[in-house]
Amino acid sequence: MASNWQTVVSERQMGERRKFAASLSMDKAATWFVLVPVAFFFVYPLWKLIVLSIQTEAGLGLHYFQEVLVNARTWDAVGHTVLAAGISTVISVVVGVALAWLCAYTDIRWKGAIHAFALLPLLIPSYVMTLAWTQLAGPQGVLNRAASWVMGSPVELWNVYGLDGIIVVMGLTHYPLVYMLTLSVLYRIPKELEWAAHSSGASARAVFAKVTLPLALPGIAGGGLLAFISGLDNFGIPAFLGIPENISVLSTLIYEEVIGFGPSAFARAAVLSVLLGVIALAGTGMQWVLLRKSRVDQTSAEDKSIRRSLGKHRLTAEVLVGGFLLVTSLLPLLSMAATAFVKAYGLPFVPENLTWKHFAFVMFDHAGTKGAIGNSLMLASMTGVLCVVAGTLFAYWRIHKPSALGKAMEGAVALPYALPGMVLGLAMILTWIEPIPGWQPGIYGTVWLIMIAYVTRFLILQVKSSTVSIMQVGKEVEEAARINGGRFWTRWRRILLPLYAPGMATGLFLVFLTAFTELTISSLLWSSGSETIGVVIFSFEQAGSTTYSTALSTLIVGAILLVLAAGSLWKRYWQRRIEQ
Amino acid sequence: MNSARVIGVSKKFGNVTALHHLDLQIGQGEFVALLGPSGCGKTTLLRLLAGFESPTSGEIWINNECVASAAKRKPPEERRIGMVFQSFALWPHLTVYENVAFPLQHQQQVPEAYKQNPKARVAQMLEMVGLGGMEERFPSQLSGGQKQRVALARAIVFNPTLLLMDEPLSSLDAELRMQMRKEIQFIHRELGTSIVYVTHDQSEALAMADRIVVMKGGRVEQAGTPHDIYYAPESPFVAKFVGRANFLKGNWAAANTFLLEKQGASSLPITVSRDFSAFFDQQVLPVRPDQLKLSVWHQGSDGIMGKVAHVQFQGRELIYSIRVGEEEWEVVTDISERFAYDDSVLVSICV
Repeated sequence: MASNWQTVVSERQMGERRKFAASLSMDKAATWFVLVPVAFFFVYPLWKLIVLSIQTEAGLGLHYFQEVLVNARTWDAVGHTVLAAGISTVISVVVGVALAWLCAYTDIRWKGAIHAFALLPLLIPSYVMTLAWTQLAGPQGVLNRAASWVMGSPVELWNVYGLDGIIVVMGLTHYPLVYMLTLSVLYRIPKELEWAAHSSGASARAVFAKVTLPLALPGIAGGGLLAFISGLDNFGIPAFLGIPENISVLSTLIYEEVIGFGPSAFARAAVLSVLLGVIALAGTGMQWVLLRKSRVDQTSAEDKSIRRSLGKHRLTAEVLVGGFLLVTSLLPLLSMAATAFVKAYGLPFVPENLTWKHFAFVMFDHAGTKGAIGNSLMLASMTGVLCVVAGTLFAYWRIHKPSALGKAMEGAVALPYALPGMVLGLAMILTWIEPIPGWQPGIYGTVWLIMIAYVTRFLILQVKSSTVSIMQVGKEVEEAARINGGRFWTRWRRILLPLYAPGMATGLFLVFLTAFTELTISSLLWSSGSETIGVVIFSFEQAGSTTYSTALSTLIVGAILLVLAAGSLWKRYWQRRIEQ
Repeated sequence: MNSARVIGVSKKFGNVTALHHLDLQIGQGEFVALLGPSGCGKTTLLRLLAGFESPTSGEIWINNECVASAAKRKPPEERRIGMVFQSFALWPHLTVYENVAFPLQHQQQVPEAYKQNPKARVAQMLEMVGLGGMEERFPSQLSGGQKQRVALARAIVFNPTLLLMDEPLSSLDAELRMQMRKEIQFIHRELGTSIVYVTHDQSEALAMADRIVVMKGGRVEQAGTPHDIYYAPESPFVAKFVGRANFLKGNWAAANTFLLEKQGASSLPITVSRDFSAFFDQQVLPVRPDQLKLSVWHQGSDGIMGKVAHVQFQGRELIYSIRVGEEEWEVVTDISERFAYDDSVLVSICV
């Protein structure tokens, strides 16, 4: 064996092709390579928005702020926004925490199914869920018709249209956020802390109040704030339930200003956007501080063992939870599907009234819908692919070259997602009509502007998902590939990509699904020929074509469930291979 | 010929200097252990050799080629070095075979015979580390010790001239560590590869290395054979860090005479035969626990009297803490004669 060292050494000296690795200037170039696009795509639009809100004919000034702030309609909308987001947050926290505690600590059965059902409201777009609720609890909905049938005379038990409906649907849409954050905190509370309290003489109630709850509080509060911010952001729910009743929140008010196209409409919309944006960013800031303050170590291992036995109350709890989940997620969707199958809106759901023709119409006959499905598929795929490449590279750069600048840039990338979609949509219009003075790329009104907006908004989802995987793969795993001769492409192809795949795929699914069914941004940016699925469903609904909107929504829900099932199967298969 | 040379290398991370102008040579086939507490720069030195870091100043030569200086750095993938990582760093999505065969596919100057028939070479390596026939397993299906063997096989499969090991045994349990020491010694003997072995465990370094380099605060504190390091420490730090040492107080009357402090007075002369000049400053004499002997104290004996403060039974030896005046000395004896708590003993010093 000793002999071939000699040949190795001499060969090595003959082949004088020394390549030396990245020097300092390359690192700097990489930094600029990230910095410039981040500044242009993520920060510049928000700058444009702020500038427009304070630009008047007479130079800079608060003229438009004054005009907007004296308008009673503004204050109505602000009040509705705060009420809707606030009270719905209370609902989200109560439901989310209760569900999380039951799933994390008790011996309740069918946890997997509960978990899946609890996440459903996050995966099905909120406007589809809202549409489903109108079919369950609208004036002509299943609930009121059933009540009328029971009573023998027309009664209205509850009408989902209006502010109360917005609040309830919003609360039921956003509780998964509280549920997820609380669940993750509860799992990470070491059970020894609770045992120590028990052995010090505390009752179960005292342990919960003095140990569990204080430790979980940052997670709960963080989830609550997230629900609040999502409430500010949401457009679909108030658009479907509020606009018909003439109830505006800030997001729908901005929408109405922009599509109303009056003189100075953009400027007033910009002022409203700045208002809404500031409220949302304050919420995000608070949430960030709370999560940092969390005393439960996020890196400590999850403990999923059962800590409390429900004993004889277990069946009661199971029935309550099951009933709640069925009524709030399955029943609305079934009501919606039922509407889609009846020949004409309002007919009873009996065999002779059933038909496929609405499905056939939206899938094959209506050109606008076909175009929209094509657009949404294209947008979601392109956005997904762009985000998975850019987001993974960004996450990799961010983790392997940690710096204050990198942190700031991640903040910048997160900004468009933290801001309400309506605000970003408006900023996109303002920016891309003429991004640089004298250059009009002509993409306003095309599907390309929607795509840029989607990438801007959803990139952070991919960055976060990829980050999880990249962090899990230790630095040494890549170093082992380097020391064994693996060059850049070899390392990515054979080692890094397969190991990052779960996080990349999770992000890709998330971005794809979110973009596929997006409504808020596209409702502002669409024009004839660039409709998305969300826009078409919204238009059907506004035109009163409820059978078509429900048929298309039912198809979308079916597609989402199929994609989710396929995704979770793939992930299970992949994770089994690399589980440590 | 040297396998690797480190010439005047300094490494700074921001304001922190991890290595101060350090020189080191690794001879061909030599087993060098870098030993020191955490933060002493031993891992930084290893990463500089591997090519994961660039020196701030100085040069690194491997096989008569300058691979790194302040201006340029040859990346790790072109250095043709074997390396075993602390966390093993096996690729979890590849089988044992694919893990071990990876260097054969990507490393430079792999002997043609291995390239032509990687299966045979991998099988041979797995056989050598005692994992014959486990090619198709995934790392998650292996125990800690087996993972370590795969990592070892992967590091040596392409016949590297230099093998770097970064605390390779620290994540194994005590019994497995003892066994893996023998395997590493065996591999070193069989392949004749130069090894640079980073550890903070002095017994690992003493057991396996040809030469130990004790590091502290980014500098070499002492380099020498295990015997020299253990029996002739040249600084209080080495005396304390490698093996245990009691620092007996007194003063140095001459280069070979130490006057032991006894009841406040320097009265008991001890004659030494080697150079203790490193200890003159502190006026102490380093004595290993096994260089102290205990016997029964008789009233009126001349010598050092101590009282047993603690006894720990260890099976084949006993560890005593003996109180001598204000001091407490650690003494290790065999179990032939046993003393109990609070016994008075006569302590004799055999240096």
